[in-house]
Amino acid sequence: MAFVFSAVEKLGPAGLVLRAIMGSVLGICLLIGFIVLRRWYRARYFRRRNERTVALRSWWDNIISGKISALDWRFDPLDCDIVESILLDNIEMSTPANLPPLLDCLRVSGLLDMRIYEARNSRGWKQRTALLALGRTRAVEAIPALAEGLDSRLSETRIAAVRGLGRTAIREAAIPILDRIVAGHLDAPERSLKNALVNCCRSHPEMLVNYVAQTEGPIRELLARVLGEVASPELGEELLVLAADNLPEVRASAARALGNSNTSYTLPALHTLATDPEWFVRLRAVVALGQIENVGKIRILLHAVCDRNRHVRQRAAWALARMEPQLEQILEDVVATNDDYALQAFISELERSGAIDKIVGALDGSGKCSEAALMEVVAGARKSVELTGKAAAVAAGSH
Amino acid sequence: MHFLTLSNDALFVYYVLSNFIYLGLLVVAIFKNTRHRHRLGSLRLELIKASPFTPPITLIVPAHNEERSIVGSVGALLGLDYPSLEVIVVNDGSSDSTMDKLREAYRLQTARILYIADIATAPLHATYRSPIEPRLFVLDKEAAGSKADAINAGINAATSPYVCVVDADSILEKESLVRIMAGVFSDPGRVVAVGGIVRVLNGSRVVGNQIEQVRLPKRAIEVMQVIEYLRAFLIGREGWAGFNMLPIISGAFGVFQRDLVKQVGGFRTHAVGEDLDLVVRMHRRLREENRPYHINFIPDPTCWTEVPTDWKSLARQRARWHKGLIDTLWPNRDMLFRARYGRVGWLVLPYMWIFEFFAPIIEVVGYATIILALIRGVLSASFFLEFLLFGYAFATLISIGSVLLEEMTFRRYGDWREVARLLVFCLFEHFPYRQLTMVWRLQGIWQYLRGDLQWGEMKRVGISATPPA
Repeated sequence: MAFVFSAVEKLGPAGLVLRAIMGSVLGICLLIGFIVLRRWYRARYFRRRNERTVALRSWWDNIISGKISALDWRFDPLDCDIVESILLDNIEMSTPANLPPLLDCLRVSGLLDMRIYEARNSRGWKQRTALLALGRTRAVEAIPALAEGLDSRLSETRIAAVRGLGRTAIREAAIPILDRIVAGHLDAPERSLKNALVNCCRSHPEMLVNYVAQTEGPIRELLARVLGEVASPELGEELLVLAADNLPEVRASAARALGNSNTSYTLPALHTLATDPEWFVRLRAVVALGQIENVGKIRILLHAVCDRNRHVRQRAAWALARMEPQLEQILEDVVATNDDYALQAFISELERSGAIDKIVGALDGSGKCSEAALMEVVAGARKSVELTGKAAAVAAGSH
Repeated sequence: MHFLTLSNDALFVYYVLSNFIYLGLLVVAIFKNTRHRHRLGSLRLELIKASPFTPPITLIVPAHNEERSIVGSVGALLGLDYPSLEVIVVNDGSSDSTMDKLREAYRLQTARILYIADIATAPLHATYRSPIEPRLFVLDKEAAGSKADAINAGINAATSPYVCVVDADSILEKESLVRIMAGVFSDPGRVVAVGGIVRVLNGSRVVGNQIEQVRLPKRAIEVMQVIEYLRAFLIGREGWAGFNMLPIISGAFGVFQRDLVKQVGGFRTHAVGEDLDLVVRMHRRLREENRPYHINFIPDPTCWTEVPTDWKSLARQRARWHKGLIDTLWPNRDMLFRARYGRVGWLVLPYMWIFEFFAPIIEVVGYATIILALIRGVLSASFFLEFLLFGYAFATLISIGSVLLEEMTFRRYGDWREVARLLVFCLFEHFPYRQLTMVWRLQGIWQYLRGDLQWGEMKRVGISATPPA
């Protein structure tokens, strides 16, 4: 330290500044040199990579079938990188029928083992890259290495492992995540967990049902949200159990699943859910009702269009406004509810769907006294929709 | 004599310190950028797009006399790659045909939409929705003379948990929303706001409101601004965000947690620099409540914006930015050196006072005292020259650092001749361009002290009129 001070003292202010100038100019030269060199190196690298990609693509079928031995490309880092990236892209896009030869190629060439080794023994970005690559392989034997990543003390690594497991999109990959979530041993962002579970459980929602039954509190909510995304009619009568669950999230997920089924219990179950105390359960039920083809739903939707929640009302009106042959009758029924909000919601949805002109035309042409009265109500409601919009805007704006 | 020596020493320390802070920010930015690129490698954007858990976002587009570009801009925003999007255009009392153009293009109909006036704004005339584009809502409001008021109206009408404010005359890249939201998804509980990068549109080829080819502008005044933007965003914002001290998210492109914006009272209506003001108030609120939070900057979501092409507009813009700075720093002066405001009160705000707000004053005084010292013989001519050279070389080093960061990360300027031009212009940024900006900033201080808080008009070429390269 004393040496530094004495050197600075000897230099004096002018000398110090001179050195600083030289340092800065040297820095500028180094930066410019680095930029130029980097550009040159990258141009060269990508040219070479392009050439090798074209060559490897032309031998692709032979590489996959093993006619070209893995020894010919596996130990050249550039070739190995190109083949792996093409293979992983193909695996991601492949159908179950053409997946086995691609996986075989991964296994026989040792690429899979290399990634498993890296996932287990590397650290930092290399480990995370390996975890994600393993996920893309969709190979079952990658799951243990990915599961070990879930126990890492580094959150980035845990997230990479969760994403990797999600990418496999196979049900076995969900088990390590679910086990750790239930045991409270997995600290990862909720969104990453949900996405991974949705991918893995999409074709097997029933495995989530057991876990939902075992858990409580926020974890149960999380699993219920996932279940809401993946629940399918195949859950069968399990859906009725879920529809009666204590947790609104679970009931909402049941409603969502019921929208995709058309069994004898669908309509009664959705009817019950459409009167649920929680608005978002009612909303999900109304959305589900909009999806199913059953005229019996009109009665439930007419009730929902008078709901105390604006979103439920609007969604029910949306569903009703799309029931083309029955629109005139529905309009009469909505008017009969004597609920101005319901009528406004229905009229505005008819306007949005473009069906209003047809109805007005039909009512106008009939010449019946009752329909003239109905026409008057509709005109009044249309005016009211417009005025309320303006008035609400002015009132809100001048707040 | 003693005063002159003292003043020169102080100036020397000030100059060295200012450049060393920026050098430090450059190092942090390089580190953070590299990490971000690694992270991007593990993040598949199509998965975010496909995920059912991707939260909806509301784009708020304040528009005042934007008849030339509004329809194209709205079309481009509706075409952004994001799974759940709502676009709210706020026509802020335009006197031209902005509203008519929108009405015609989207067949707008008056409608009731959920509008909860949590933030007071100028009165609305009407709210509209489009039967052909259900994601579009238009608010027609009385002009309040400020962009902030229009944004606040948009926030009141927004139904999504996140709002993104976008200028009507800017262009967002197709994937920019997914990319910026990736910054939120990294830690949704803590990340309350994220800023993206704003780049210079001038010179690039625009087709159908999307950038087709990125090119460096021709004129020197525009290229200088390219370097300034690169330095400000890729070094300054990236560096400060690395320490969770980001003081500003650009008004042209930023995502905020809607509820938090409402809690802090929205954008301050008569703030000159409403974007800076909002972020400082967010820091204040969150630190007062002792809530863990992060205000982040992500360098890859890109918004392209037109910058002034003539010296007069540029001078006005810079004077306005400086007015905006004072207008935010002064009301928040109580945050300085207070323990409860942590590093924001101890580091970033003092930095902004000393190295941003006072910079033009210190520089003018510094130049005067150095020349005086030279005349009086207190300072040797050779030392003076060396000092100038050092200051110039060091500052140029930082500017070249920003070009390096651009090269290492996103390489938007693919042609090596353009990079060479950027490097050459780095040599002129600190002389004479810097001295000009100093004068404009002084004008800003003077205007603020006189109470002149006008925005002033900026001459625009217009997106649609951007000549093909």
